[in-house]
Amino acid sequence: MVSIDSLNFGYGKKKLFDGMSLRLEPGRVYGLLGLNGAGKTSLLKLMAGALVPGSGSIEAFGKVPAKREAARLADTVFVAEDPWVPPIGGGAYLSRYAVFRPAFDFERFEALRRAFALEEDKPLSRLSYGQRKKFALAAALASGARLLLLDEPTNGLDIPSKIQMRRALTEAMSEERIVVVSTHQVRDLENLIDPVLILDSGRLAFELGADDLASRLRSKRASRLDGLEVVHAEPDALGWSALVGAGNGEAGDSGDAAADLELVFNAALAEPQRLAAALRGEPLGPYEPRDLAALSKEVES
Amino acid sequence: MNAVELERPFSLERVALLMRCRFFEEAPAVGIGAAIILGLNLLGLVIAKSAIFNHMGTWHGGGAAVDGSPWGGVLFLGGVVLASAAFKAFHEARGTDYILLPATSEEKYASAFLEVVVAFPLAGAAVASLMSALLALIEGALGGTGGSVWLPWGLEILKDWGRYAAVATVFLAGSATFGKTAWLKTIGVALAYFAVMCTAAVVVIWAFSPEGWERGRTVSSLGWSFSLGGRALSERATRTVQAVADMLSFGVVPAFALFFGAAKVAEKEGRDAVQ
Repeated sequence: MVSIDSLNFGYGKKKLFDGMSLRLEPGRVYGLLGLNGAGKTSLLKLMAGALVPGSGSIEAFGKVPAKREAARLADTVFVAEDPWVPPIGGGAYLSRYAVFRPAFDFERFEALRRAFALEEDKPLSRLSYGQRKKFALAAALASGARLLLLDEPTNGLDIPSKIQMRRALTEAMSEERIVVVSTHQVRDLENLIDPVLILDSGRLAFELGADDLASRLRSKRASRLDGLEVVHAEPDALGWSALVGAGNGEAGDSGDAAADLELVFNAALAEPQRLAAALRGEPLGPYEPRDLAALSKEVES
Repeated sequence: MNAVELERPFSLERVALLMRCRFFEEAPAVGIGAAIILGLNLLGLVIAKSAIFNHMGTWHGGGAAVDGSPWGGVLFLGGVVLASAAFKAFHEARGTDYILLPATSEEKYASAFLEVVVAFPLAGAAVASLMSALLALIEGALGGTGGSVWLPWGLEILKDWGRYAAVATVFLAGSATFGKTAWLKTIGVALAYFAVMCTAAVVVIWAFSPEGWERGRTVSSLGWSFSLGGRALSERATRTVQAVADMLSFGVVPAFALFFGAAKVAEKEGRDAVQ
């Protein structure tokens, strides 16, 4: 288990986390969502031990990551958004660095290398961004580490690779493994991540399980919002894409679908109180759409 | 490495693995350096039928050249360059990967220290001796004397190694502290430290040489002879100043640099430049 208690962290005077607490249970793939600069990568690095909390505590499987004990480090893999690779072949890389991880499964890596169609001996630094990413993901999934921290894993991957990546991640899951995926590409992973963690203003704004989303929320495309229990809505070509309470008509209605994660994320930022009320099953009042671009600027400033 | 080894708070096996990684990363640059030295000497053989490095320097003890030899100087400089770049990875894009490589900070520091202070001078001296012998043979075959083959052993070379180890430790700490141009910044800090120490030494000299307090006297030189105002210091004062200088140069400074560098490595974080 990963437990974060009263975490405070920032860069200089800029405070990123202010007393944040969080529990991550094994056997789950957590989706970490937040605006740019919300602290997603920093949170992953804090869990990995690359950053040290200002105050508060982080424990991963009973150990403090910031102490950087070899066993803890070997039990964690952090895959950066743009992974660094040296100018050597994949085999040489593994013979140098995988030896630090006794649980590394070379056969598994080989299977993933083939699945990702990675060239065997080409210098890693000459691989494309997407290929470097696939190499890093394959190494992470074969590492045997119980804590996988993936920063924007689908960025730069082509469509077949995204499918491969989802499949590989599903196969790599076990009851003792925790995967945290920070992403802006929620649609790439929405069938995989459960629960979703939404960071906002230095704290965990929402932790939404797939069950909560399925039972309490739905997405709806409609020409008008009248008569709907709208949590949040955005104009689109046909009228509105709306996140509505589950009581709005029957599932399967025309234009009705499971809650779209992008809409949920936007609702968490634009209408946190309405979203919280909808999740509690409370009736929602009249809805007035908000300008998301303005909100984003407001949050960033 | 097995799971038992993984649980050890300090593992020599991990230190060895880290040194192996360092070797693979640095071998090309060191190899290029060695090739340049060999090339210069071969050029000397072609142009003047003389292996330059075997004919330079101050020689001690019938052929066993040590002090002042360019071979030793090149190794000294090479080691300092290596030390200055020992923790370069920390300050680059790969910094987070290096921090999260499953080995403790102490092991990472120890691997760099052992490589720069022990492995490089030992291996470098062996290669340089072989190169020197080879060049002497070639020069001999071309009709020259061959010069002096560099054979780095004896007490004198141990003293040289001690001086090198002290300097390399300081540059290791510099590498752990500074990102770009770590060598230049380390020299800057060292010069500032030297200036402070010189000032302190002047105070010590004056304290032990009351004549130094006389109005109008100045420190004309602060070399190893420790003269003051053109007059040599008393034997007692010279011994004291020498002891203090040695203690600082070979004890306090390297010990401080060692712990400071290790602490810097331990506290290094994978912060993004953008933040």
